[in-house]
Amino acid sequence: MRTTIRRFLAALATVTFMVALASCADSGTAPPLPGSADTSRYDAVIAASPVADPAAITPGSWADKVRQRGTLNVGGTDAGPLFSLKDPATGKVTGFDAGLSQMLAHYITGKPTDNTALTITTVDTRETLLENGTVDAVFATYTITPQRAAKVAFAGPYYSSGDAIMVKADNTTIRTAADLNGRTVATQANSTAVLALQKAAPGANVLLFQEDAQCVAAVQQGRADAYVIDQGILISDASTNPAVKVVGEPFSTEPYGIGLPLNDPTAKAFVNDWLEAIYADGSWANLWKATIGTVVSGDPPAPPAIGSVEGS
Amino acid sequence: MQVVTDNIGFLLGGLLVTLELTALGFAGALLLGTVLAVFRVSPIPPLRVAGTVYVEVLRNMPLLSLLVLFVFGLPDIGLTFSLFTSAAVCLAAFGAAFVCEAVRGGINTVAVGQAEAARSLGLTFTQTLLHVILPPAFRTMVQPLVNIFIGIALGSSLAAAVGVSELTNRTQVLNLQSAQAVVLFLVSGAMYLAIALLGGLVGGALERRLSVRSR
Repeated sequence: MRTTIRRFLAALATVTFMVALASCADSGTAPPLPGSADTSRYDAVIAASPVADPAAITPGSWADKVRQRGTLNVGGTDAGPLFSLKDPATGKVTGFDAGLSQMLAHYITGKPTDNTALTITTVDTRETLLENGTVDAVFATYTITPQRAAKVAFAGPYYSSGDAIMVKADNTTIRTAADLNGRTVATQANSTAVLALQKAAPGANVLLFQEDAQCVAAVQQGRADAYVIDQGILISDASTNPAVKVVGEPFSTEPYGIGLPLNDPTAKAFVNDWLEAIYADGSWANLWKATIGTVVSGDPPAPPAIGSVEGS
Repeated sequence: MQVVTDNIGFLLGGLLVTLELTALGFAGALLLGTVLAVFRVSPIPPLRVAGTVYVEVLRNMPLLSLLVLFVFGLPDIGLTFSLFTSAAVCLAAFGAAFVCEAVRGGINTVAVGQAEAARSLGLTFTQTLLHVILPPAFRTMVQPLVNIFIGIALGSSLAAAVGVSELTNRTQVLNLQSAQAVVLFLVSGAMYLAIALLGGLVGGALERRLSVRSR
């Protein structure tokens, strides 16, 4: 009996402690993330995107397999603001990359919704999952590099982005990438930003965190002097967080491609044709407006030319 | 394989950080865990309760949560430690909960009669523990402690998530450059395996030395 009471008290103390911890941490309520609100405009863009002429899909080709299955197996993430972010309330993944994958699935299957099956990939697994056929295509802010092109085929580039710099709002000493030498700079472990950073500021001390929010926290708490990643993501973060700001213009070029299996040459040609189609009919620009355009001001940029970078 | 041979120094540097984290984490866990075990078997109720609460909180919480709280939570109340220190402290604090239970389990294997005999000879609680209970108890603790050592060594890879440049973190960096995930993670996996096997070997040798020969 005594031990039962004692165990109960210990459990009670434990739970109290955890609740106390949680309530401490709750003080700063996060504003809603972009993309978590109304998605009707986004849905309309996908529904209005083109559908392939069934005659254009060669029997037995990559696209034919997807059409027979009825869903496109997509490799990507659900934690990338602006590009592919899951709304925990509805379970819906939206963003520029997610939208493109849904458009491609729409193009092949003709179904405007429920046409993709997302497999979460990381930088560590993308090439392997494509090689072994777990996913049909990877949409994951996947920068085209010659090393990667040796393992997977890249359609595109479909978007050209660049890494920019985020600092604390009161910082006036960091303006360009050269100012990062000798500083502590945070970035995401799963991004090629670290490679661009090593090139632009070889003297920077790099900290790799797993997620965007952790990198922002590191800057806010003074653990890192700056945070370097895709400019769109930084602008999105800074738009909801007054403690940080984005400085200067992008110092690198990141051409994003769609990762496809290397062993099926029909895939790359087919997806490139589809990209040309959505460039031409305005679906690409409309998707940009419904996603990245919600935080980056101005008109949609001109889409990059297909096959314009090494490895694509 | 070339990516490994070209960057072997970088990887071995990461292995060194992993070994340092493991050594510091395990040493800290041994110290703190033994103190906690003494709390839990002590005759003083508040100490027993404190020991129990500590073990139940730290043992039932994912190490990754602890790391993220430590690294990103503490600066909000004005306490900022370096990433390496944070990771080492978290590993030690986490391991201590398990060490405490292993030590307490070891203590419980010593027959009550031994403690009673010691007390009837006039030994204090501390003397009883140090000279009568712990020496034979340690023998039965070796294998559980080896398990905890391995747990800490492998758990140190979670420090990669909070930016410590250890083996897993460096493997991820190299994969970004080379897109050779399978080769790289095989190599770093083999390094973790070597650490764990080494821990097991040392534990086995220690156990043989401590074992009482049957006469």
